[in-house]
Amino acid sequence: MSVVDSAVERVADSPVVSKDDLPLLLVLPGLFVFLAFMLFPVLYLVYLSFTNAEPATLFQGKEQWVGLANYVTVLSDGQFWNSMGVTWLFVATSVALKVLVGLGIGLVVTGERVRGKRFMRALIIIPLGLPGIFTITIWRGIFSSAEFGLANQFLQMAGLDSIAWLSERWMAFLAYNVTEAWLAYPFMVIITVSALQDVSEELHEAAMIDGAGFFARFLHVTLPSIKRPVLFASILTAAASFQQFLIPYVFNQGGPSRTNELLIVYGYREAFRFQKYGEGAAIMLVAVAVIGVFMMLNVKKGQLADGVDDA
Amino acid sequence: MSVISDIAAELADDARAAAMAPVESVKDAKYTLEGIREGRVSPATVLKTAGITLGAAVVVALLLFPLYWVAVGAFSGTGASLYSSSGIRLWPADPTIEPFLWVIGDLIVPSYRISLGLGGYEVFLQTPELTFLDVSQYGVTETSEFKRFFANSLTVAIPTVLLAMCLIVPSAYALSRRQFIGRSKVLYGYVLFTQIGGGLGVALLIALYALFVQFGFNDSKLALSAYYAATAVPFNTWLLKTYMDGIPVSYEEAAMIDGAPSWKIVTEIILPLSKAGLATVFIFTFLTGWTEFVVAQTLLSTDNYTLPVGLYSLVGRYSIPWARFSAFALTFAAPIMLIYLFAQRYIEGGLSFGGMEG
Repeated sequence: MSVVDSAVERVADSPVVSKDDLPLLLVLPGLFVFLAFMLFPVLYLVYLSFTNAEPATLFQGKEQWVGLANYVTVLSDGQFWNSMGVTWLFVATSVALKVLVGLGIGLVVTGERVRGKRFMRALIIIPLGLPGIFTITIWRGIFSSAEFGLANQFLQMAGLDSIAWLSERWMAFLAYNVTEAWLAYPFMVIITVSALQDVSEELHEAAMIDGAGFFARFLHVTLPSIKRPVLFASILTAAASFQQFLIPYVFNQGGPSRTNELLIVYGYREAFRFQKYGEGAAIMLVAVAVIGVFMMLNVKKGQLADGVDDA
Repeated sequence: MSVISDIAAELADDARAAAMAPVESVKDAKYTLEGIREGRVSPATVLKTAGITLGAAVVVALLLFPLYWVAVGAFSGTGASLYSSSGIRLWPADPTIEPFLWVIGDLIVPSYRISLGLGGYEVFLQTPELTFLDVSQYGVTETSEFKRFFANSLTVAIPTVLLAMCLIVPSAYALSRRQFIGRSKVLYGYVLFTQIGGGLGVALLIALYALFVQFGFNDSKLALSAYYAATAVPFNTWLLKTYMDGIPVSYEEAAMIDGAPSWKIVTEIILPLSKAGLATVFIFTFLTGWTEFVVAQTLLSTDNYTLPVGLYSLVGRYSIPWARFSAFALTFAAPIMLIYLFAQRYIEGGLSFGGMEG
């Protein structure tokens, strides 16, 4: 006990940490474990990206420092730029789709003539509680070319030919987008609905008296009032789209023939499929840097971490 | 135990509301009909409302159709769902629970023979064989590995929860109630990580895998739990801290005046009043380990596959009919969905609760 006491006294005497800071000891274990499993791997990833690590050398401790060679290889690789392009295209199309779907559903379940709105909202957010791997494997089944594939059954009902969804480049890309939209719509709907409920009734009534129709009111009253929260949600969901890994990986490993490898899938496959840990690490770091800059710009603009200030 | 009784009360309320809903809507409809008859309400308005509501219901139904389709698939006879090309079915072709029997398999506790040496005598105890479900009686001969995956998931998720709670609860209390150096920096870092760090896991996977292999941790379920606990820290600490912020400081002041030491204030006031928050954090950390796929798939070998990895391992196997796959997926996901939705509701109530009814 006395050892602990004297240690406590010494800590209390030190100039940096005063006795009032002892509650820090309650936070440190959590912080330490978190950093050990997050910050330390980040540093190690940086190190790996400067070496020619692959399983054969790394686990013998024989990896060699190669400087920026991995970054040069990656940045001059057409495959990388294809991935970068597809990833941003995916961000653009999926965010547009998610915002449209979210807004559409949001309007439907807040419509003043709709009865049973609360019940409908409760039903609609059900996908939020489903594990990602469940949803994505199910959607893979929907886009399957086998007889049970739901997408092809719909096409057949409409009298069209079935499509090999996952082995054609843009059809697979479309499938990714649809699945991403279904995964993310509950989040978008929750944000949109709470924004729609805050739209002032007076403005709507005033516009109605001025003779504005439904669409005019939507454009000039509803949209401006919900712009900010919806923008906030789209930034967060854009980051999610950029980091999407499971959908391409489960659907067809970013195929056909590597055309749809989103950035993270590309890095993962370079490392684990083609055994190039060094290059994989470099790709991941470039991806993290890109998303980091993107988020930083948005945080500065949109004040995403607002909550901390009033804590 | 009051959490459980609260939950029971809420469930009872929900059930009552659900049971009363048809009665209420019939009352409403009667009222509207009377209105039309007496000319207070114009039939055109009623028709318009009915039409729009119907449209909204169709939208909701279309959105949730994939889930319904999975359920139909799971209850279909094996052959019907894989080979028939008769288009979309709204009802299973040949309803059967065979796929679920395949998923769950036998539930038999085998008999054990325990021998005890008592001073030269040997005593044998033979436990009886307990049969809860013997699927071979229903014609299912080979079964899925669901039970093994389930056991693996449990041995990952339980240490995750224990470790995470030990890390989160003290941090949340300190961040909520004390001032110290670096407090706002820690908070800021946690919130930032919660909002943008979700995808970092896959990006770090290469380094994580290399480190785990070098330390000899790969394929260790305990190391995986420690990783899950670490990733759960930021969000759940923030959540519990926000929850504890809602407990009035006056309770603590009263206890302090009565001379209670600060550890007693924590155990007698803070922890009992944050029971709902603790329950939520418990559920969330449990689900972290229960549903994570990518890291588990990379680090674990076939023998140690958890449920999500096990589910994925069925995807490419064409020998597994769709009906069985759907049944497996549903058995995995349905309980999680219920728990999650419930936690979601409870947390909403919890965050607005100010400690006044404690």
